[in-house]
Amino acid sequence: MIRSIAHKEFVSTLRDRRFLVLSALVLALLLLATLVGRRSHQALQQERALAQHTVNDQFQNQPARHPHRVAHYGSFAFRPKSGLSLLDAGVDSFTGAVVFLEAHHQNSVNFSQAQESGSLLRFGETTVAFVLQLLVPLLIIFLCFGAFGEEHETGTLKLLLSQGVTLRQVAWGKIRGYGQAVALVVAPALALAATLLFVGAEYAAGPDLLARLLLFVVGYAVYFFLIIVGSVVVSAWQRDSRTALVTLLGFWMLGGVILPKATANLGATLYPAITKAQMDTEVHAEAQKGMNGHDPQDQRSAALKEALLKKYGVDSEEKLPVSVGGLVMRESEEYSSRVYQQHFAALNATYERQNAISTWAGLLNPYQAIRPLSMGLAGSDFAHYVHFQEAAEAYRYGLVQRLNMLQAGMGYGDKERRLGAETWRQLPVFNYQLPTLAWALPHLLLPVLSLLLWAVGLSWLGLRLISKTSIV
Amino acid sequence: MNYILEARELRKEYPGRLALRGLNLQIAPGEVFCLLGQNGAGKSTTINLFLGFVAPTSGAAFVNGVEVAAQPLKIKEYLAYIPEQVMLYPHLTGLENLSLFSSLAGFQYKEPELQAYLARAGLSTEAARRRVGTYSKGMRQKVGIAIAVAKHAKVLLLDEPTSGLDPKASNEFSELLRQLSAEGTAVLMATHDIFRAKEVGTRVGIMREGKLVDVRPTAALNAHELEQLYLTYMHD
Amino acid sequence: MSQLTLFRLLLTYEWWHFRAARGLVLLTGLLLATGLYGIYYGTTEIERQRQHLATLPELTHHNVAELQQKFPDSADAGEIGYYHTTYAAHHPDAWAALSLGQRDVNPYYVKLRLLGLQAQLYATDNVNPVKSLSGNFDLAFVLVYLLPLLIIALSFNLLSSEREQGLLPLLLAQPVRPALLVGAKLAFRMGVVLGLAWLLSAIGMGWAGVPLDGRVLLWLVFVTAYALFWFGAVLVVTALQRSSAVNAVALVGTWLLLVVLIPGLLNLGVAAARPVPQGLALTIKQREEIHAGWDRPKAQTMNRFFAHYPQWRDTATIRERFVWRWYYAFQHLGDVSVEPLAAAYARGLQQRFVLVEQLNVLSPAINAQTSLNALAGTDLPTHLQFQSSARAYHDSLRAYYYPFLFRQVPFTHADYAREPTHSFTSQPELPTAYRGLGKLLLTVAGTFALGLVLMRRRAISPR
Repeated sequence: MIRSIAHKEFVSTLRDRRFLVLSALVLALLLLATLVGRRSHQALQQERALAQHTVNDQFQNQPARHPHRVAHYGSFAFRPKSGLSLLDAGVDSFTGAVVFLEAHHQNSVNFSQAQESGSLLRFGETTVAFVLQLLVPLLIIFLCFGAFGEEHETGTLKLLLSQGVTLRQVAWGKIRGYGQAVALVVAPALALAATLLFVGAEYAAGPDLLARLLLFVVGYAVYFFLIIVGSVVVSAWQRDSRTALVTLLGFWMLGGVILPKATANLGATLYPAITKAQMDTEVHAEAQKGMNGHDPQDQRSAALKEALLKKYGVDSEEKLPVSVGGLVMRESEEYSSRVYQQHFAALNATYERQNAISTWAGLLNPYQAIRPLSMGLAGSDFAHYVHFQEAAEAYRYGLVQRLNMLQAGMGYGDKERRLGAETWRQLPVFNYQLPTLAWALPHLLLPVLSLLLWAVGLSWLGLRLISKTSIV
Repeated sequence: MNYILEARELRKEYPGRLALRGLNLQIAPGEVFCLLGQNGAGKSTTINLFLGFVAPTSGAAFVNGVEVAAQPLKIKEYLAYIPEQVMLYPHLTGLENLSLFSSLAGFQYKEPELQAYLARAGLSTEAARRRVGTYSKGMRQKVGIAIAVAKHAKVLLLDEPTSGLDPKASNEFSELLRQLSAEGTAVLMATHDIFRAKEVGTRVGIMREGKLVDVRPTAALNAHELEQLYLTYMHD
Repeated sequence: MSQLTLFRLLLTYEWWHFRAARGLVLLTGLLLATGLYGIYYGTTEIERQRQHLATLPELTHHNVAELQQKFPDSADAGEIGYYHTTYAAHHPDAWAALSLGQRDVNPYYVKLRLLGLQAQLYATDNVNPVKSLSGNFDLAFVLVYLLPLLIIALSFNLLSSEREQGLLPLLLAQPVRPALLVGAKLAFRMGVVLGLAWLLSAIGMGWAGVPLDGRVLLWLVFVTAYALFWFGAVLVVTALQRSSAVNAVALVGTWLLLVVLIPGLLNLGVAAARPVPQGLALTIKQREEIHAGWDRPKAQTMNRFFAHYPQWRDTATIRERFVWRWYYAFQHLGDVSVEPLAAAYARGLQQRFVLVEQLNVLSPAINAQTSLNALAGTDLPTHLQFQSSARAYHDSLRAYYYPFLFRQVPFTHADYAREPTHSFTSQPELPTAYRGLGKLLLTVAGTFALGLVLMRRRAISPR
């Protein structure tokens, strides 16, 4: 019986000209967003890959230099785009593309797309995710607002029920029929995207990408399902289809425009973050004076020298087989990195507290549940950005410490000497591995839970509400 | 005797309004019972109670011996309903509408069978293939009748079925009712139309302010007497 | 009854209707509340930026104190230039609190050392990208995004509700011209919306403490014209005389098109039409240039430097293994080598902005956002101005240190205080705002003209 009603809704929808026009529009936007997304994704990816290749080349082909020169010459880490960020650019447009890696300093990630465009970008980017998250729900609203109102107004509901079906069955039939219609609009775009992803050689197509894509599709399926159920429930609750439409549009605006901005801003107000200038100063001060004011840098260096002399049983620096400068530098890099890590972790903890307000708001607003889930699966959320920053910093630290050890091995008077060009070819270059889905999933539990709660809650409470509505 | 429809002390109270005050009614198979009365007399409420669309405040309605409130789905197997205004799904054809409603009632008909039901209700094969959005009221009414007939129900509930139909369509409708009645189908019809009631009804009941104030066999009355009776009860 | 009396009477009835419609009163109250929150958020955000900017001189003081401790006597200016940090600060205009623009995305200060500028100029501040993605909830957002929605909610059934309730035949049976009826209904809603917009603007201006200059009027005129544009859209839709549901869909569709779709598509189009020469290339090239300096013969480096700065040509020839003035010379040459790239980068960004400004006729919402940002001095051009002022500041630092370096004058404790400092306050981009206003007024006139023509062409039908 549910199937018969679903079939009727599906066929009626397809024969409705208004729906055809709207869905053609949404489909066109989806396809456009996919193609444009692919183009900009490709351009950015190529640009960054080329730049990374160039700097790696430059690094390995350095002339004979002192290792500390090389540490200051440094390298760059370019952030590669993840495959699925083609569909959901997430925060990528607001995060930088490149960080300069050098001794002593942890630099910011620079050159974000947001800085390269005016305030126009702030109206929102036309990505596949944007269309799926905001425009498809709008399409669903226009599709479903009269689901029950119209049947009431025309009396077909009574006719249906006199045939021995329940209100619940009618509702499920409608949900299924609308679901089929929505799938018909969305599926071609997703199929195109999947084809592009798996045919294009530039995307590391593999089981991880496939799993991410599958979950992405499932996530949106649940999202659309709950929007459909919600719209059908509202159409039954607000008997007058006009009131139902206005109510649904109100929910859309509240959930899609007002709440996300308000919660993000609230988070920033409640948990203010430290500026980079302040943070750098604190890191510097603690590294110099010692954490908690104990063992300042010069004392640490003196103690290190003392210990070295003792260890090798000699009485002056000249007689040491190692370069004190290199070892002091190693110690201070180790110490200051530790200080930096603490501050960086504190900063990210602040940001996570800020963002948690938005993520928890997902329990109230499904849009704020699908958004982090989608970004997380696409590899374009905050956690993935931090992962890149940490990988870049880990590489920087490892590289600088290797160079410090090279310097230490040069022995006394290293400043007057250089290491041969072949040394640099043996050093590893920055090769960023995007985190796996298994790494990303724990960050996404709350959004997943929110979506499921919404889907189950609406199916249960909403349908109960429907089955209790009056028929006459 | 087995009644197909029965109401026992049926009461329905809406907030601030008593719609039905203790209705007792029995209708046997093959009977055509016409409920006459003004707007608000309780005719539609009675039909809605038999359909299970509203719950009685007290008392009980039975269809084929089954209590409506207890098994609201079961009783729908015995009933067919034609509302005052048959509004169907405008984007589907007449055939598709009939097919949909029949399948909901558990009947999977093939197209020739569906066409036959529509033809019996008076709808042409050509019209059956057009979308209902293009139909006149009378054509929609015919599809509604076909839906009821195709269900092979034991009883037909009709709410003002002929209002707004032209005389020819009304006559065809009456003829169909007589045929169904002859086959043993019971009919409960709410109407304003005393002449139609006299023509097709076996009994008429007059309702006033939620009460069945008088019940007469139509055979014992002529049209004039019926009109007099109606006016007596409707106007103090 | 005179038309004026009748008009007043109709307004009174509208007021009764409005008062009775709980939902609408609630919605208006909600917009007032969101507006107040927007003002609160904008002012606190700018206040926080001001506080952060205020700590920068302190940070510089700490740094100087540390250096004075490190170098108890006079020092080589090269050491100071290397370890000394100072800041170029971009102070907000008071108006920025009402329209934050790109101030949260673009850094509002730059930390500078005497080293090559191009490696420092594009450093960003700590930013939470999730927050940037969600955007700012400032007064401009409330006025540009949400006010149209209130207008739509108040007016989508301007006449259609009466028609649907069957009241229109009764109304039109009275000696009232339909135009007067529509006029009174529109006028009442305009009164509510504009009153709200002006009230919020006045509160925002007071709260942010803006100077009472011509911009107050400019802001008010702009906001009024923007609201009028949406009423023009309402008039057009009303003149088409469709059902309430169709009107709602048409108006929300217009909102979606102008506020969401056109900006998004325009952003894609502009990025494709005006590709910006990459900042990445600039950074890489500058590093290569600077570090090659270590490996090149010193005389070669110095001669190239002297070609740009002949005033230092007569200084002593470098024979040492390392000397600071040589170091800073190749740092400087690194900047010189990427100057064309840097200029092209800045020019590319500016051209993008100009193209957006030219195309903002396509959407009054984009026009409103860019113009309000221009009025507040919070968009890209202002940031580019700040960057060029930071560049000038860095030049002045060089000019200050070079005599110490090239004449080998010791840097004393007193010299720290004589170092130039930087301060830049956003300037409004008034020409942009005026051009925006001109275009907006034309759009408003066009929309109303269309509405009136449609109205005249088809008499209002009661059913």
